[in-house]
Amino acid sequence: MQRSEQKAIQVTDLTVAYQDKPVLWDIDLDVPPGVLLSIVGPNGAGKTTLIKAILGLVRPAAGNVLIYDKPYEAQRRIVGYVPQRGSVDWDFPTNVLDVVMMGRYGALGWIRRPQKKERELAMQALEKVGMEAYTTRQISQLSGGQQQRVFLARALVQDATVYLMDEPFQGVDATTERAIVTLLQELRADGKTVVVVHHDLQTVTDYFDWVMLLNIRRIASGPVDEIFTSDNLRETYGGRVAFMKTDKGGV
Amino acid sequence: MIQNHLDILLIAIVTAAACALPGVFLVLRRMTLMSDAISHAILPGIVLAFFLTESLSSPLLILAAAGTGVLTVVFVELLERTKLVKEDAAIGLTFPALFSIGVILISRFAGNVHLDMDAVLLGELAYAPLNRLKAFGYDLGPVSLYVMGTILLLNLAFILLFYKELKLVTFDASLAAALGFTPTLIHYGLMTLVSVTTVGAFDAVGSILVVALIAGPPATAYLMTDKLSRMLVLSALIGSVNAIGGYWLASLFDVSIAGAIATMTLLIFVLVFLIVPNRGLIAIARRHARQKWEFAQTMLVIHLFNHEGLPEAETESAIADLHEHLSWDPGFTSQVVKYALNNRCVSRKETQLILTSHGRTIAQQALVQ
Amino acid sequence: MGNLSTLIHFDYTLMIVAVGAALLGTVSGALGCYAVLRRQSLLGDAISHAALPGIAIAFLLTGSKVPLILVLGAAIAGWLGTLLIMSIVRLTRIKYDSALAIVLSTFFGFGLVLHTLIQRTGNANQAGLDTFLFGQAATLLERDVLTIGILGGIALIVMLIFWKELKLLVFDADFAASIGLPIRTLDILLTSLLVIAIVLGLQAVGAVLMSAMLVAPAVAARQWTNRLRLMVLLAACFGALAGVSGTIISSTASRIPTGPTIVLCATVVVGLSIAFAPNRGLVWDRIRQQRNRRDLKAAMEIQE
Repeated sequence: MQRSEQKAIQVTDLTVAYQDKPVLWDIDLDVPPGVLLSIVGPNGAGKTTLIKAILGLVRPAAGNVLIYDKPYEAQRRIVGYVPQRGSVDWDFPTNVLDVVMMGRYGALGWIRRPQKKERELAMQALEKVGMEAYTTRQISQLSGGQQQRVFLARALVQDATVYLMDEPFQGVDATTERAIVTLLQELRADGKTVVVVHHDLQTVTDYFDWVMLLNIRRIASGPVDEIFTSDNLRETYGGRVAFMKTDKGGV
Repeated sequence: MIQNHLDILLIAIVTAAACALPGVFLVLRRMTLMSDAISHAILPGIVLAFFLTESLSSPLLILAAAGTGVLTVVFVELLERTKLVKEDAAIGLTFPALFSIGVILISRFAGNVHLDMDAVLLGELAYAPLNRLKAFGYDLGPVSLYVMGTILLLNLAFILLFYKELKLVTFDASLAAALGFTPTLIHYGLMTLVSVTTVGAFDAVGSILVVALIAGPPATAYLMTDKLSRMLVLSALIGSVNAIGGYWLASLFDVSIAGAIATMTLLIFVLVFLIVPNRGLIAIARRHARQKWEFAQTMLVIHLFNHEGLPEAETESAIADLHEHLSWDPGFTSQVVKYALNNRCVSRKETQLILTSHGRTIAQQALVQ
Repeated sequence: MGNLSTLIHFDYTLMIVAVGAALLGTVSGALGCYAVLRRQSLLGDAISHAALPGIAIAFLLTGSKVPLILVLGAAIAGWLGTLLIMSIVRLTRIKYDSALAIVLSTFFGFGLVLHTLIQRTGNANQAGLDTFLFGQAATLLERDVLTIGILGGIALIVMLIFWKELKLLVFDADFAASIGLPIRTLDILLTSLLVIAIVLGLQAVGAVLMSAMLVAPAVAARQWTNRLRLMVLLAACFGALAGVSGTIISSTASRIPTGPTIVLCATVVVGLSIAFAPNRGLVWDRIRQQRNRRDLKAAMEIQE
């Protein structure tokens, strides 16, 4: 195996099936450190499943995943995760600061409770996402964009090297979208690797430098300039895609 | 004596069929627990009506109790609409409260009435034929048979009359509303039926086991068919079979008839759960075993296909390293390779495994799906 | 004052019963919060009904009526029932509600069959079943209260030890798994705690009403606070309050069964909370709406 440089995430020959129905077929994906990668594909393409498989939340039928050359179990501390906003009950009795501190639970380990230090880290993360004024707000009283920022802050306090985010732009307002993009770019500038499940084809070239096109199998992955072409997109979406600004100069 | 056995059996069958029919819609609409709530919450209605009529099978009592049942549904929905309580919690709050009121009423005034808690909760089918309908000196049979028979016909008539509407409301409530069939009306119609059926049935089997009659047969039938009409017929049939089997069990061991019918319901359900074709546990396990090799072979050919003609193909298709790439157990890997070789999907080329044209077709087909 | 004390005849037996009911209310109130938050409010109903065959089998096997053995049988059966519900949901297309209803009613029916068998052999009296159905708070002995205190105390301590893990499991199980928490094991742990609360509560309020003891205090507590910590604390207090007040009220007059009275007390607390709790309560909501309308009207008048 040619290993010219270290990979932040290396997925090899990954097949995932739910009860004998394949959701991902033999996926290969190399993510170099320090890139901002978006996973793009139609509904049911297995984008969320790929993220979950990288995180070890679903067990693959074949293949494996390495984070900086080690299996996920050994690298948990350096991975941060932002699940889909809709996956939790926002009426849960808890407030903003508390949710963000949950990001420290992994580092805290069993039994130990969050202390002053965790509180400070959570406050810093909330400042980064512009939510420091809402610390004691109950989470159901937040807008969709604010909820998303809280989830991002929770991932930030994980102080990870690799971030996996599932649809962070889903249903957020324009201000939040800009704030999230800025944040993602800051993370990249710090040398972090960020993988984002994304569904808005129009913004891929503006927001990301790498892209993976996925539809049950990997269509292509690599730098946006090379990969985000109308041919590849047509293959991913089965020709049903209305083209906007895909490859440069395209309509 | 034989007449008595026959009466009990008939009542059991008619009750089971009458419960199974509306139960189908409850199971499909994910509202089964509403029947649990109704069957408990009607207690205060029954008690109050009983004070007035002093009879457990008077039509007035059935109406009063059914009214309480519908009120329960309304109450649960009102609670839910405040957005302060989720549906499951709303049910879990409402019926114990109403039931408690009923229990307290009974024990406060139990001295003057013949209504005891065991009869309410557990029912006693064996006593059902004792209360007989008499006209002009002739014995026309047990009252409960007439009551349950009427309810069965009522349920049947409602379902036949509003079959299309019920189907639409069950599978697509918003479309039903758009087409002008008020889902609320159908919903409350159904809830009224469930209430009436529950009241009628609980005289025989009690309020807890009525739930087994309402939920059991439809859920069993749901494992066997996809068609609503067939599910209705099957549910009524399974309900009757459970009733007969339960009665037989009860006479064999001399135990509670209602309890034995419930036990039978569980047994038949578990049996179907295990052996029904396609969806049963055994079918799933066998398909799993059969598809395991098939699926592994497909994974293998797709793996080879994905790397075919690329620079890394040589390492990716080396037979000795395959298990590392796929993270499979080495023994399993060599068995899969053997399986694929036998099926002529792949062939051996020195240390490499290469695709045959057949294998390539399999890979392409799998990826197109 | 003297009038009141004669009314309540606050004797030693009543005190024991009240303490027992308070302990049960505390345990089921606190643990019920998790059931309500996971939208499994009625799982308690299923577990409590499914416990009957366990009690009967425990009795058939050992011939003993020692509470601890019967409680153990109840717990095992309750556990098996839960397992069956989960398997049905996971392996078939039958939904949670139907699976729950089937297990609840048929397990109970099977228990009834076993019970009639026991009765026929002349080993037990009808009282056993009535106790199971409606509880027998009024006959709690010092020994029972001790059992409740120890087992319930253990359950609460375990809940506190794994506080942040259980909280994360209920709020966001995927995230919990991603940071390495064994969510399957935690799930089993939480269900086991619930089973303990239920089989203990069976003695006081019985199978039919047990679900109210889990749900009512939690729902009431949720209206007053937006923090899990306070919710669990309040629910425990409400549970204890319902237990004590129900016991005392039912002792003031003859023929008022204790279990249903406890449940009605808990329901009253829920009603008051839903109506009057600040921020979430209905009255509060109405006032806020009116104020908004007035403000809007005033604003429009200024514009004119």
